[in-house]
Amino acid sequence: MSNVTEADFGRKNASSTPVVEYRDVRKQYGNFTALDGVSARVNRGEVLCLIGPSGSGKSTLLRTTNALEVIDGGQLYFDGHPLPSSKAEIRKVRQRMGMVFQSFELFPHKTVLENITIGPLTVLGISEAEANARARVLLEKVGLTDKADRYPANLSGGQQQRVAIARALAMEPEVMLFDEPTSALDPETIGEVLNVMKRLADEGMTMVVVTHEMSFARRVADWVVVFDHGKIVEQGPPAQIFDAPREDRTRNFLSHLGWNG
Amino acid sequence: MDFDFSPVTDNWRYLATGLGITLLLSILTVVCSLIAGTLIALGRMYGPTWLQKILTFYIDSQRAIPVLVVLVWIYFALPVLTGVNFPPFWAALLALTLHISAYVAEIVRAGISSVRNGQTQAGLVLGMSPRQVLTKIILPQAIIRMLPSIGSIISITIKDTAIAAVIAVPELMKRAETVSGQTFRPMEVFTTIMVVYFLVLFPTTRLIDRLYDRVSYRGRS
Ligand SMILES: Nc1ncnc2c1ncn2[C@@H]1O[C@H](COP(=O)(O)OP(=O)(O)OP(=O)(O)O)[C@@H](O)[C@H]1O
Ligand SMILES: [Mg+2]
Repeated sequence: MSNVTEADFGRKNASSTPVVEYRDVRKQYGNFTALDGVSARVNRGEVLCLIGPSGSGKSTLLRTTNALEVIDGGQLYFDGHPLPSSKAEIRKVRQRMGMVFQSFELFPHKTVLENITIGPLTVLGISEAEANARARVLLEKVGLTDKADRYPANLSGGQQQRVAIARALAMEPEVMLFDEPTSALDPETIGEVLNVMKRLADEGMTMVVVTHEMSFARRVADWVVVFDHGKIVEQGPPAQIFDAPREDRTRNFLSHLGWNG
Repeated sequence: MDFDFSPVTDNWRYLATGLGITLLLSILTVVCSLIAGTLIALGRMYGPTWLQKILTFYIDSQRAIPVLVVLVWIYFALPVLTGVNFPPFWAALLALTLHISAYVAEIVRAGISSVRNGQTQAGLVLGMSPRQVLTKIILPQAIIRMLPSIGSIISITIKDTAIAAVIAVPELMKRAETVSGQTFRPMEVFTTIMVVYFLVLFPTTRLIDRLYDRVSYRGRS
């Protein structure tokens, strides 16, 4: 269904069906074109990083993936199937994608454990015992076993974001979407969140990450997509993007961030 | 000037049952208004346009009409129109609920709108339906945020029940009038019930404020 182009050569699982595929995706806000014909694919087990200047459309693309934003043109495929349009079907798709927000968005009236179990309990309908067991395993994974009964207000930003990751993982998603997961964090807690994400990547989770953490993208990404003005400027493996960018705009963007290899 | 509180002490049982009726009327009004007000707010926010218009008009009209007028209208005018007679207590409950619900609806609406959109999205991306997002994520936080306003509603309700005296509901105010009229001791009787209202209301509002201080962090996203 999707052709492996020369550009995709050597990518992880390049010959099998991508988990997510964007084909000429367009998104308008009134007269403003936020996404102007974006084509990209996310292969199974791949970490794809979206980078680019503020307002270039990174979040918008991420949010079209789980239909938080509805696209105005092009096609979007999840696991080889076009994204459905019925509300019930979209809910099914969302259950198979995890999303992590810049502002955490933990549920303040729920304990840490309840934040993690609420999805499986209300949506998957598994038993409370099973949901709790699953949550405990995830808390261990993000290193917060001792915080199970705390409320989000009593956690640091880094801890809250790790809980948010565990909450998304509790649905056992096939792909995880991250929208600047460390941008709202104090510098000293950024590392703990990035470490959790790195471990997730090492375990083979498919991930799409919007980030301004270039060293993370350089180290962890399998594929980097550079955005500007709603278009993809350049995409390629991190070695290409960071060490030998082919486009001036990529070079400009990186040098603005102070990236020098 | 001589003080004589014997009318109060001699009639304490009579006055105390009046207080009981005041409290019963207050509790029923608060419970009914919270339920009705929440439903009205939800209808106004998420219902079809025609319903939104009706409910908006209802809320505006209740804010523009004195509760005393609503009460006497239900007790004296409604029976003429419909032939349905309410006993005084039920007429008072209906009038107060009709009036207070409109204020509750505005509080609930403000509470729901104040929960930021990211919370809705966090629920949606877990695969929840809009209804699940509302009942499991938005409303619980909104209710916590509404606690101080609900405290005000409770105190306003308890105070407003005093107007039921005009249709002879045997609540505290009405009974105080009766005792005062029979004993010609208005100063002692009305001073006493003023203190009684205060002693009921002051701890109630304080308690709700304390409760809010304890749980407010659970509504802050
Ligand atoms: N709901 C909306 N209505 C109107 N314009 C919007 C809306 N959402 C986004 N935009 C616009 O679309 C453009 C792309 O926004 P987007 O959030 O995708 O950028 P971004 O690349 O994620 O930027 P940042 O790095 O600042 O998060 C921006 O110019 C933004 O102002
Ligand atoms: Mg963004």
